[in-house]
Amino acid sequence: MANTAHADHAHDHHDHKPHGLKRWLYATNHKDIGTMYLVFACIMFFGGGAMALVIRAELFQPGLQFVDPSFFNSMTTMHALLMIFGGVMPAWTGLANWMVPMQVGAPDMALPRLNNFSFWLLPFAFTLLLGTLFVPGGAPAGGWTLYPPLVLQGGDSFPFTIFAIHLMGISSILGAINVVVTILNMRAPGMGLLQMPLFCWTWLITAYLLIAVMPVLAGAVTMLLTDHFFGTTFFTASGGGDPVMFQHIFWFFGHPEVYILILPAFGVVSEIIPTFSRKPLFGYESMVYATASIAFLSFIVWAHHMFTVGMPLAGQLFFMLSTMLIAIPTGVKVFNWCATMWKGSISFETPMLFALAFLFLFTIGGFSGLMLAIAPADFQYHDTYFVVAHFHYVLVPGAVFSIMAGVYYWLPKWCGRMYNERLGKAHFWLSVIGVNVLFFPQHFLGLAGMPRRIPDYSTQFADWNMVSSIGAFIFGFSQLLFVAAIWNAVRSGEKAPQRPWEGATGLDWELPTPAPYHSWETPPAANILPKPGH
Amino acid sequence: MPPSATRIELAPNCSLSIAGARWFFASCCVASFGVAGLVASQGFWPVLPFAGLEMLLLGIALKLSLARRHQKQIILISTEVVEIEDRDAAHRASVVFPRHWAQVRIRAGGSPLHPSRLVIESHGRRHEIGSFLNEQERLGLAARLKRLIGRIDESPPLPTLGGQA
Repeated sequence: MANTAHADHAHDHHDHKPHGLKRWLYATNHKDIGTMYLVFACIMFFGGGAMALVIRAELFQPGLQFVDPSFFNSMTTMHALLMIFGGVMPAWTGLANWMVPMQVGAPDMALPRLNNFSFWLLPFAFTLLLGTLFVPGGAPAGGWTLYPPLVLQGGDSFPFTIFAIHLMGISSILGAINVVVTILNMRAPGMGLLQMPLFCWTWLITAYLLIAVMPVLAGAVTMLLTDHFFGTTFFTASGGGDPVMFQHIFWFFGHPEVYILILPAFGVVSEIIPTFSRKPLFGYESMVYATASIAFLSFIVWAHHMFTVGMPLAGQLFFMLSTMLIAIPTGVKVFNWCATMWKGSISFETPMLFALAFLFLFTIGGFSGLMLAIAPADFQYHDTYFVVAHFHYVLVPGAVFSIMAGVYYWLPKWCGRMYNERLGKAHFWLSVIGVNVLFFPQHFLGLAGMPRRIPDYSTQFADWNMVSSIGAFIFGFSQLLFVAAIWNAVRSGEKAPQRPWEGATGLDWELPTPAPYHSWETPPAANILPKPGH
Repeated sequence: MPPSATRIELAPNCSLSIAGARWFFASCCVASFGVAGLVASQGFWPVLPFAGLEMLLLGIALKLSLARRHQKQIILISTEVVEIEDRDAAHRASVVFPRHWAQVRIRAGGSPLHPSRLVIESHGRRHEIGSFLNEQERLGLAARLKRLIGRIDESPPLPTLGGQA
């Protein structure tokens, strides 16, 4: 919270650290809260992953094998909610908690007690949500998009789901406000905005997006609640309401949400690729402007999710062309990452492997996104497995791989120990093979016409579904190696040097390894601040 | 400052100017209320109060964070006295304790999330230090001050190379 400038430095090292349960319950230290976010996200990833395996086990062959259709629909809905709101978003907030203060030269987040509160909302939110698995009528089964009137016909789970989403939203907003205030107000003296690492920049823009769109989600789910319990008819056609308007409102939140999930990934990859290419990032400023452009465009493309509701031709054209525009700043980014590697002295440690996989596979997801942006083609692809393949390519090898890349990259700084490179590489290769075997065949299934969210299917889809399910189990179980790699590093990894990666630059790497419990109590010296535009 | 004095200066990080904060807050309001207003104009007004609440929270967060920009405490420890100077935008006040009789104490705070208050006290007088620090920084500062000031009826030798940092 402050700079303490001391005249004598004889006894500078002090590591007062609370112990026991209270350390975590009343945590205000950014590293403790970051760790809690990351552990929570990991648990949610495994919970959501287990649900995905239920889905893929059921779809292993045609016919109903293990679960009834209603439970299958609950699994698809819960899998999405857990992965998005419980997995990816908290993981990014965890990484921001750990890294933003270290990277901007601040001793902690700007509002540490708010930070504690925003984390502790999450376990309550997800206990509520997961508790719906045991209520009459089962967990929500109308899809994570909560479209009315289907969602209004759910069982007792409905109000719990809405309340849980509200809590998740509050947690996200508080986290975003904290990140924004930290980045804007807690930077070390002399550090300008264009001296910040890309991870901070992408998080700043992400936080702005979160602040802009979260009230829309909160309003939308509140209107669902009042339609269900208080006799309003915002989205009920029989009372003069408009169910299609819910889709507009939801996707006005939902599309920026996609970028909320992916922009910090751009930041992580923009840190890792220069480090392992041993070259500065190519086009730092263009990266910042490209990120801001993507964020801006994310506000004006929402209806590409709903071309098939029947919108005017002018609307279709506008949303088709504005969606295609996103390819330009995204292309700038991909070009810059490639240009950074060009003639670099590249080495392929685990974080770099995950970053490279991100680069290739996220681009595949981007290309299938361009295909979906073409309105007449989307009429064919809409609500098929092609869409499932597209967004999983964006979110799994996109967001999730970059989270893993970030964890491998910064783990030595966090715990002072190296992970086992062989274990990391085994995790990488099994993941990258698993994820492609899992999701690539879903393009074929979608193009052949297999609808999404069905527990049974025509026999013509049997072969690729079997392949996809095999990939799912390879990918799912290979994540145990990730936990093993982290556990192994924390317990018995080799001692890490202060700068474990030769090419790493930035304030975070100027701190001792492991990073002290309270970092940058004394502001960093001007000569170690990153150069503008670096 | 006497040659053997030690000076500790406490000040919060504050890289945001008031004008910058206003611009940022205004841009957030335009985005948030613009969207909420558009939706409300179509009859879906419940988005508006959420936007208002969120902007209120953001405003409070910015104000709280900016409020500390003028806060500064300078602790000057010489062989004879401990002088604490409090500065904010409008005021400057200092308190002096005799070093030999002064003691550094950690007192219980009001809540588990604000567990301690760091005070220097002597002769029935007490002055709080580092209220804007986080808990770990406060405990670290307390340990440091205890070494420099010593317990009551104790004056440990000061580091010889004093000076302003």
